[in-house]
Formats: sequence, structure tokens, C-alpha cells
Amino acid sequence: MSEKYDVIVVGAGNAGLVAAATTAKNGLKTLLLEKHNLPGGCATSFRRGRFEFEPSLHELASVGDKEHPDTVYKIFDNLGATVDWRYEHNTFRAIVKGCDGYDVTLQAGIDPFCDAMEAAVPGCRASVHRLFEYYPKVTDALAYITRMKGKPNGLVMITKHADFMKIASHSVEDVMKSLGIPEKARNIINTYWGYLGVPTDELNCMHFLNMLYSYVVHGAAMPYKRSHELSLSLAKVILDAGGEIRYNSEATEFLYDGNGAVCGVVANGETLFAKEVISNVIPHNVFNMSDPKNIPETDLKLANARTFGISVSTIYLGLDCSMEELGIHDYTVFVMTDANPRKQYDDRKNKSLYIVNCLNKVIPDSSPEGTCTMFFTMPTFGCDVPKDLKPEDYKKYKNRLAEEYIEDYEKLMGIDMRSHIEEISIATPVTFARYLGTPEGTIYGYALSGWDNILGRISCEKDEYTIKGLSFCGGHAFRGDGYSSAYVTGDTIGHRVVNSIKGGN
Amino acid sequence: MKQNLRSLSRFDFLKMIPTRKAKIAEAPARAIPSTDSYKPNELANALHPKCQHLIVSEITEREKDVKSYSLTPDMARGTEKLAYFSAGQYLSVALEMGSVKLTRPYSISSSPRESLSGRYELTVKRVDNGLASQYILDNWKVGTEVLASAPHGEFTYEPLRDARQIVGLAGGSGITPFVSLAKAIADGCEDANLTLIYGSMTEKEIIFRNELENLAAKCSRFKLVNVLCDEKVDGCEKGFITAELIRKYAPASGDYSIFVCGPQVMYDFVDKEIEKLGLRKKFIRHELFGEYRYPEKNDDYPKDAVGKKFKLTITICGEKKTVECDANVTLLNAIEHNGIAAPTNCRSGVCGWCHSRLVSGNVYVPKEVDGRRMADLQYGYVHPCSTFPLSDVEIDVPPFRL
Ligand SMILES: Cc1cc2nc3c(=O)[nH]c(=O)nc-3n(C[C@H](O)[C@H](O)[C@H](O)COP(=O)(O)OP(=O)(O)OC[C@H]3O[C@@H](n4cnc5c(N)ncnc54)[C@H](O)[C@@H]3O)c2cc1C
Ligand code: FES
Repeated sequence: MSEKYDVIVVGAGNAGLVAAATTAKNGLKTLLLEKHNLPGGCATSFRRGRFEFEPSLHELASVGDKEHPDTVYKIFDNLGATVDWRYEHNTFRAIVKGCDGYDVTLQAGIDPFCDAMEAAVPGCRASVHRLFEYYPKVTDALAYITRMKGKPNGLVMITKHADFMKIASHSVEDVMKSLGIPEKARNIINTYWGYLGVPTDELNCMHFLNMLYSYVVHGAAMPYKRSHELSLSLAKVILDAGGEIRYNSEATEFLYDGNGAVCGVVANGETLFAKEVISNVIPHNVFNMSDPKNIPETDLKLANARTFGISVSTIYLGLDCSMEELGIHDYTVFVMTDANPRKQYDDRKNKSLYIVNCLNKVIPDSSPEGTCTMFFTMPTFGCDVPKDLKPEDYKKYKNRLAEEYIEDYEKLMGIDMRSHIEEISIATPVTFARYLGTPEGTIYGYALSGWDNILGRISCEKDEYTIKGLSFCGGHAFRGDGYSSAYVTGDTIGHRVVNSIKGGN
Repeated sequence: MKQNLRSLSRFDFLKMIPTRKAKIAEAPARAIPSTDSYKPNELANALHPKCQHLIVSEITEREKDVKSYSLTPDMARGTEKLAYFSAGQYLSVALEMGSVKLTRPYSISSSPRESLSGRYELTVKRVDNGLASQYILDNWKVGTEVLASAPHGEFTYEPLRDARQIVGLAGGSGITPFVSLAKAIADGCEDANLTLIYGSMTEKEIIFRNELENLAAKCSRFKLVNVLCDEKVDGCEKGFITAELIRKYAPASGDYSIFVCGPQVMYDFVDKEIEKLGLRKKFIRHELFGEYRYPEKNDDYPKDAVGKKFKLTITICGEKKTVECDANVTLLNAIEHNGIAAPTNCRSGVCGWCHSRLVSGNVYVPKEVDGRRMADLQYGYVHPCSTFPLSDVEIDVPPFRL
């Protein structure tokens, strides 16, 4: 069979862009297919009137800067993609309502973070600091495991990496309890659970520690021109390296050769062949676009064993007053009715947790002079959308939702947003189902809960998804959700495909 | 006491992979449910179908050179239900006229409620030298198959943003979204009040006069004011839509939102009048501009390009074609007129549907219709529907999608 391409990447989300940039830059003939007219998937922007909104990014983890480049910075740098990074030096402000609630603002930097924790929960500093001290042990162990190509020596693990084994196999809550971090302090730190979509009594501690460390040490980064800048900078790398990008080109079928290996896809009715196909599209959808006889039983079982990750409802407001006039001083505020992450998760239909961002704090000129934008995020599952919701009632449903949250925040902060709304846009899992095409509108792929935690995924990644010629990258893949994780999987898979094609020649 | 991880077992680590494997082994090997079977996906598909196959079921001759078309779902071609919409939204209609393939946006002039029983109404007014309007008026018959997009557009009443009292300013065929809004208010789909100030040249040219007067008689939340510039008629205002006239009919409290829809010349006039009212920007909403004409009238237009012809090279799906493009023709029109179907929707620079990469060349984008994102400017992307060539130009255009 004559292959027209070395590699076809399906989906120009964060991971697909990095994967295609990696293969194109390494000299492979690469085609990137995207069903929308823009690259980026979640990582895009949209305009309303005189505002350009960031649709998804709250804070990008693992960026760092020129002097201290972290994973994401390095991925972009190695590809030659330039980004105008802006930084936020507070991690977040957490407000728990009610009489035993609290209002705490935490700074980035381990010491300032621990100091603020001590001020909020006297006596907790040492135990919180100890948590961070375990981070190097985790990275050492991971480096060792990688060196051993995923097959570490048991004795070495037990003698040298016992702490890692504990952290990697227990929940955030278990580890924090064993370190003696008091409940209130745990709750404050664990405010971050929403970014991973799983409450901390179930969330793998190694995973959480990785994210926490990155945010606390480096602060969070944001691209100056919204996430659309990230995506266009990666698209440029692909094009400059001679790769091809086709927008408005939804893959509708995955093609298999006689030996059950993927050999191409159909997009816009055209049959396209490649030596390797990389899917940024969630496996569930790929299997639905494949002849069932080609899906091995083990792959089908894996898909059926998993649950979909969380989605969100969001409100984007363009206000005709500045953040100072409005009385807003923070970039990220978490608002909660109960301090406990599990309760927040269970009670999510009752405004138990939402996040409010004001990008002007990080990028003052991200909206015109005398205006500001506010971005509300409410964790929601696709299955939380009422079963009996009819298309004709959808707009009212969205507006009611938005009104409740806006009112709640106005009351809490003693501010008036309502009379300043110049532009408004409201998204729900239905919106994400539309734009990303994911089942249930999940934005986080598969839930990282219990057995399907990140360590299990990473360890088993090479044995799972057994179809030849096909690999997966994205928020649904082995690093879990989030821009940074998606970039990492795109990078890993891109390089793997480069090696397999070039090595095989 | 310094606490450490002593209370946790390291041997749990050894159980992780076996547990994972067991969980997967236990799971059924049944087929994956279709993505469309999940509620959010089902709703997304119902609200935003990829396209809608419609059929003309009835034609109403309105005033001279104006017809309304009832469109119903064409089940034979796979459209079972019409997508619901918000009053004020439009459909982008695909047209093939000989070798020319293009689209045009038309506001839906029926009530959202009627779409539930399978009817949209589009109302088309003849435009002098217009390509699509002529074609539709002369060719669409009962039974004509029409390919349309899902409903799009932001010219809708948003209760969290707009004042509940809307003052609508309409000119000519700009009446259509207001007809839908008035009907939606009358049948309870929208919870707002509308005072519609509708400018026409002469009494004969008032479109929808009977429907609107009947609606106003039935529904106290809707009021109609006809304004005629060319003749004096009882029951109509004489002149133009001025600040003074708006003040006369708008609430004295100043608590209202202005919605404007009409031809470019009307915007040019009315915008200056609206300014005199001293309303905040948030209370003034415009329907889209439509196709931009006469870029050379702008002060920032490079005068040396006037009257020139350039070469436009288009790459679409890996295929290249070079055509001619006059300086005062949008890149999009040049593409379409040469038989290439390009993705378009609002045709006003705003929606970004036509987003394409400028490979080389200089272009002019009028400020009023520059709806590009910031990073587009940095990386050289354009919206061909609102872009004019200033030199030979090469662009990379995605394939057609409604
Ligand atoms: C509201 C919101 C807030 C978030 N906040 C943050 C945050 O603050 N920090 C953070 O790190 N992460 C955040 N995330 C999560 C993060 O964006 C995602 O987990 C991550 O970007 C996933 O990237 P991906 O590579 O899987 O691509 P996706 O964004 O899922 O993109 C997949 C791409 O494939 C395309 N596609 C799908 N099907 C087909 C097909 N058949 N043919 C061709 N193309 C197809 C889609 O259109 C899309 O472009 C947020 C997400 C959202 C939506
Ligand atoms: S078609 Fe909407 S911007 Fe060009």
C-alpha cells in the first residue's frame, strides 16, 4: 500500500499540535486533521464585541521561565514556538462560606506559601513544608523508573524509593494525614482538587503533589493573547517544518489493514493513508469510527472499565468597568460552601464550589481600558445535565444557572456586576460536547479516580491500547487532563512515533 | 514529634498494577455506546446540527420585490427536526448558481416556537445588482431543496445583559429579526418589551405591516412606530430615525437597550443619532454589518490601490488556483465567484468561520469589520469575507463547511 504520509495526527488540540509539530520537525511527512476551523481544541479564544475571551485556561502549570524552564517551557522552546508568557504570583484565594468558613490568600513560592498557611492554621507550617520536601524524592524515583524503562528493580525500589512508593500509592488525604497536616490546612491546600476533577480522598497523591509543586514554585503562567496564541504558535512550527494542517476536516473513519493495524483515516470523504496515526481524539470516539472487528477485546474492556472525566459550566463576562472600580483584587478565587473536597464534589449541583478568574489581574490590558472580564467555572459532569432538558429550554437553563452564580458572587464580595455586563457567554457540558466532540462533553477525558490513577496509567501505558499503527495523546491519555499534561503526551507520543518510523527504516 | 509517612504501607504500591489489570479484566467487552447517545451530545446535535436540509413549502409575496419562504425539514435528505433558535438569529444558506457557489446569511423572521412544529420563515428582499437575492426570488419555488446551516448569531435578547425594554431601530429588510422577536415576545418565548421604530421610504415599502400591526394590537409588550422619509402619511412619523424621535418613544428613565438592524447607510446615519442619547455601549447592540462595500471611502485606505487588479492564489485542500481580484472586492467574493466553495457564515468579519492563513501579500481590513483574534494578527490570519487585497495575495483556505 502506498502511504502518502508518514504520520496523520487526528485532532489539533494541545496534544495533537505538539505531536504533529514534533513529527514534522523531525522530518516526517505529517498531516494534521482538525474538524474545526481553528487549532487548539480547548486552547483557543473567542470574541464578543470589544472583548476577546479566554475560554478554558485558568493557569498553566509547569511553565517556568527562561532562567528556570519547566516542562512546558522546554517543549515550546525545543519546537521553536514562541509565547509571550505572563505570570501570576498568588496561587489562589479560597473562601469558604459559613460560620466556620475562612478566607485565605496564598502566595507562590514555597516559603511564602507555607507562611500564609501558618497564618491561616497556626502550627501547620512544618507539616505543610514536609509535604514539599517529598517532591524531590518523587522526581528521583520517577527518573530511576524511566531510566529502567519502566522495569525498576524491586529491591532498589524498596530500599531507596520507599517514600515514593507510599506517596504514589495513596490518596492525597492519606498522605497528608500521615504527615500530620491538620484538617483545615488540608482543606485549604486541597482546594486545587477541581483542576484534576477528583476529590482528594480518591486522588493520587503523587499526581497532586506534582501539580501543587509546579504552581507553588513557579506560579502560574498565561499566554498574553489568550490560548489562541499558544495554538497558533504551534501551528506555525508545523507549517514551517513542511507539515500540512487541514481544518474543517473531521475524521469520520479509521482504516485498518489486513493485520488489524491502523493504516489511515477518512476525512471529508477522502481516504488518507499513513504509516502511523496519532489520535488526539478520545479512544471512545476512535472505536466508534472503527470497524468493531478491529478493536481487540482488551482495548474494549479498558474503554468500558473507565468513567468519563468531569466537565464544567462556565460564564464569561465582559464588564464595562475596571476591576478596581468593580472592587476585585484577585486573579483566582475559589468559592466553597463546605471546606471538604468530597462534600464539594458530592454537592456540586448546589453551588458547593466555583472558581472566579479576572484575567486583568495578570494581564491588565487583556480587555480595553475601563473594562474587565470575569470568568466563572463550575465543575459539572455531563450526566448532571437534566435528562429532560429540551432544546427550547436550554437558553433559559443556561441563563438561570448564570444568574444564580453571578448573584452568589455579588453577595459574597459586596460588588455589582449585573449592571455592568456588556457581553455575556455561557457554556455548559453541551457546549463542550459541541466544540470538542467528546462523550458527555468531558473536558478531562477519563476520570483519574481510584484504580485509573496516573501512576497506573503511566506504568501500563505501553501495554494498553494494543492496536498497531495507532497511538493516543491528549487529556484522555496517560498523564491525565490539563494543558501541561496534554502537551507532555503529545511530546512523548510524537517522539515515539519519530523513533519507530525512523528506527524502522 | 516529626511525622513522616510511617503509617502508610509501601506494599500498597505493589498492588496498584494488579488492581488496575483486574479492573480492566472484569469490565465487559461490549460495544461502545454511540457518542450521540449521551445527553449533552444529543442536545448539542439538536441545537447545532452540521447542516439542515430544508424544503420550500410555501411562498408569501409581500411588498414589491420581497418574498417570505416557509422552510420545512426535508426528511428524505435526513433532517427530521429543525434546530431551535433565539429570535434574532440567522441561517447561512448555501446557493449554487451555475459555477458559482456561495452562502448568504438570512435572519429567521418566524417565531422560535414555530420551529418546534417544523417551520422557519426567511424573508428575502431584492438587492439591486444582488447576486443571491435575485437568484432566490427568481428561482425558489415550492419544493425547492435548500441547504442551510444551524442557526447562528448574537443579535439576540440576553436578559442578564440587556435592559428588559428594547427599542428596536429597523431599516428596510433589517425588519426580519425584529419580526421574530416581536412574535417571540407575543407568544411568551422571550420575556421583554419591544418598541420598534421602523424606517421605510414610502408606505408601500413597509414590509410585514399587517402582521406587525396585528401583533401590536394583541400584545401590549410590543409597540410599532413606522417612520417614512419620503412621504407624509397619517399614523406614521415623517423623516428619519433621529435622537429626538427615539427619545419620544423610549422610556424617559433612559432604562432601555437599543437594537439596530438595517443597511450600511442606515448605520452611518443612526449611529450618530444614538451617540446623542449618551447611552452606555452595553445598551447599544448592532446586527452584523453584512458584506463590506467601498473600502476606498475610508481615510486609512491606501489610495494608490484604488482601481487596481491583483492576483489571488488560493490553496484549498492542497490544491492551488490563481484568480483575479479587484482591489474593492473581498477575497471571499473573488474565491466564490471563481467557483470555489469556501467556508463562510456571517460574511461580516465577525464569526471567524472563514478564518484563513495569509501566506503572502498585503491586505486591507476595515476597522469596523475586523473581528480577528489578537494572535491572528501576529501570525498572519485573515477573515477573507472582510479582507481586501493591496497586492498579489496568496491564502490558504480550509474546505467548505456550513
Ligand atoms: C473550561 C475549561 C477550563 C480548563 N482549565 C484548565 C486550566 O486552567 N489549566 C489546565 O492546565 N487545563 C485546563 N483545562 C483542561 C485542558 O484544557 C484539557 O484537559 C486539555 O487541553 C486537553 O487537551 P487535548 O490535547 O486533549 O485536546 P482537546 O482540547 O480535547 O482537543 C481535541 C481536538 O480534536 C478535535 N477533534 C475531535 N474529534 C475529531 C475528529 N473526528 N476529526 C478531527 N478532529 C477532531 C477537536 O475539535 C479538538 O480540536 C480546562 C478545560 C476547559 C474546557
Ligand atoms: S464569514 Fe464570519 S468572519 Fe468571515
